Amino acid sequence: MDWLVQLAQGFIGIFQAGAEWWWAVFVGIVPLVVVLMTAFNAVIAWIGHERIENFGKFASQEGLIYLPFRYLLLPVVSVFVLTNPMAYTMGRFLPEKYKPAFYDAAVSFVHPPLGILPHVNPGELFVWAGIATGVATGYGDTAVTDLAVRYLLVGLVVILIRGIVTERLTAMMWKKASA
Amino acid sequence: MEALNSFLTRFGRIMGGLVGTMFQSGREAVDQVWKNILPFLAFVAVIVGIMNGTGLGTWIATLLAPLAGSIWGLLALSLIIGLPVLSPLLGPGAVIAQIIGTLLGTLFANKTLPLSAALPALFAINPQVGCDFIPVGLALGEAEPETVEVGVPAVLFSRMITGPIAVILAFLASLGM
Repeated sequence: MDWLVQLAQGFIGIFQAGAEWWWAVFVGIVPLVVVLMTAFNAVIAWIGHERIENFGKFASQEGLIYLPFRYLLLPVVSVFVLTNPMAYTMGRFLPEKYKPAFYDAAVSFVHPPLGILPHVNPGELFVWAGIATGVATGYGDTAVTDLAVRYLLVGLVVILIRGIVTERLTAMMWKKASA
Repeated sequence: MEALNSFLTRFGRIMGGLVGTMFQSGREAVDQVWKNILPFLAFVAVIVGIMNGTGLGTWIATLLAPLAGSIWGLLALSLIIGLPVLSPLLGPGAVIAQIIGTLLGTLFANKTLPLSAALPALFAINPQVGCDFIPVGLALGEAEPETVEVGVPAVLFSRMITGPIAVILAFLASLGM
């Protein structure tokens, strides 16, 4: 009989461990995310889609000067306002040869802001929150904020680099494909 | 009196609009939490339960710890995940990145990994972001079929270069943390 009880304890223990984790994360993360998301949803509603489209047309122009617009500002604004996955629709204003590079830059920006702007991709929050909850437990909340800011800033540099590299690779492959 | 009335009407309308927008935003936020965050949380909770309850998690975490504990390990991780044959498979729903992230989180919680490893780790688990979604993402941007044909390999190969670059940048940016 004893071993049956022990077996049952071990079995239910697995789910208790899961429940403990679920509760800790639920209490620790969800309230802040709800409040932040509410605020940013409202800001987006007030900005309005027309203004975003005009900005899209402006930022999508050809030329080296517009490079930081195409692969930095446009992806950032698109992801902030339209969120994942509708942000990629902003690619329609770009010439065909720049579309892959824009997609690469935009899709690479759906996680770096999650510590500060969780509304951009709530379904994939744990790309950030998995590590962040651990950091909060081990190193405290200040460390998490520090990490969130650095994640966002490095993300900005990374998407610009991705845009430039992918633009070059697209051009090279286009030549090969048409040759 | 009339001026005051029209002022009050306008003021009331603006306030009503503000409150309406805020309320709608709150509804959307709660909807998102309900539909996207909580189900994923439940699914991960079962996995975490199995890992913590059976000790499997400790075992996997000890395997991951040396990999995540050094810049070379993280670079290797980003190279593997960024391979053009693997990245489209590892992409969907960012499930793999989220589970590896949660496992690594336990290592930060018990201070097995130093704080300075957190930022490079965030980039090392994620060079495949969106690699499963390139044709759809391009179609959303109204790209021609020829663009998709060229764009898919362009993005996939780009990740082999930019994945490790991101880890190195993150490593440099976490100096002084």
